[in-house]
Amino acid sequence: MPQRRPGPPPRGQVPPQPPQRGPQGQPPRRPPGPAPRRYAGPPPPPGANEETVIFAPVGKGGTATKEKPAPAPLGKGGVAIRTAGEILITLGLVVLLFMVYELYVTDLFSAGKQSEASDQLDGEWAHDRTLHPELVDGKAFARIHIPTFGVDYNFTIQEGTDDAALEVGPGHYKGTSLPGEPGNFAVAGHRVGKGAPFNDLDNLSSCDQIVIETSTDFYIYKVLPYDDEVKDWAGGKGADPKCKGVSTLRDPNAEDGGAYSETFGRKVVLPSEGTAVNPVPYKGADALPKAQQAALLTLTTCHPQFSARERLIITSVLTQQVPKNQVKDYGDLLSKIGEA
Amino acid sequence: MYAWIWRKLPGPFAAKLTIAVVLVLGVVALLMFVVFPWLEPRLWFNEVAVN
Repeated sequence: MPQRRPGPPPRGQVPPQPPQRGPQGQPPRRPPGPAPRRYAGPPPPPGANEETVIFAPVGKGGTATKEKPAPAPLGKGGVAIRTAGEILITLGLVVLLFMVYELYVTDLFSAGKQSEASDQLDGEWAHDRTLHPELVDGKAFARIHIPTFGVDYNFTIQEGTDDAALEVGPGHYKGTSLPGEPGNFAVAGHRVGKGAPFNDLDNLSSCDQIVIETSTDFYIYKVLPYDDEVKDWAGGKGADPKCKGVSTLRDPNAEDGGAYSETFGRKVVLPSEGTAVNPVPYKGADALPKAQQAALLTLTTCHPQFSARERLIITSVLTQQVPKNQVKDYGDLLSKIGEA
Repeated sequence: MYAWIWRKLPGPFAAKLTIAVVLVLGVVALLMFVVFPWLEPRLWFNEVAVN
């Protein structure tokens, strides 16, 4: 403790002018020599400065809290800075909350819509079995199953790819073929949030099955060979019994592989690549007459995950059609096609 | 801002706390059910289709 010469000032009073200072504001007298010592004696033992706590609580009814010095009130600038900080923190929390909404809450909303659409579709299929489904915007007309993602993986497919349709589940690109038809049955789906039906599309590999259920049939599609498998397909993976019915679709007589030279099981393209859902993918509408077109199924979603920079395109080919009156249900179908 | 709101809330501490929690939940619900669904289609990262 610095030693005050005339003893401590009485509490509650403004301390008088420090006596060390000279009358003309001159620095205090100091003996010449080495650095001045602030402490006259040895350093105080620990706890020694506790005796300066004047208002130690005495027990119940102590006045300690009352007499604690209040923080100096903020000026106008201080209040403005604090308010700005509070607003910024609040905005940060709102952004975080929006992420929670995107990733989790939309899943809840979509799950409700999906189960409603699924029930409605089942009801319609139970009533009448029309050969050609009536396509109404935003209304479910088929169902997609992907056995690789589990026996219970299924979503209804709605007509159209607008926001409202995709909120329910995957949506069918308007104007593209219908299940089982030659050409390209193209379906878009969310990868993050909104039920994320196509979350795991990048886990598919060639020859994995994708089952499309309509009111009358199960259509079994298999994913086409990937880029690095096309070259040695027949002698490589294509020989696998699992890949029965899957060809590279290449024309051996044409030098560049023919109409389907650009078609692979998986492709990552720019969002502007609308030709991915053409009857012959990545080729003009008149690349092949309808009768010669293969029956394809194309799934599109965003890529990479959490981004809309590119699109992931999975293309598969129809290998089998099983009328619903030949199998009891989807589980029965799975056991017949060797997936259960 | 929050200190000012807290001072404006009536009643003893428990009442203030209850009102504050209700207010926060109300704001969250407003964001989740009104603001975010309105905002979302205006953002770009939900596009999954090619065109």
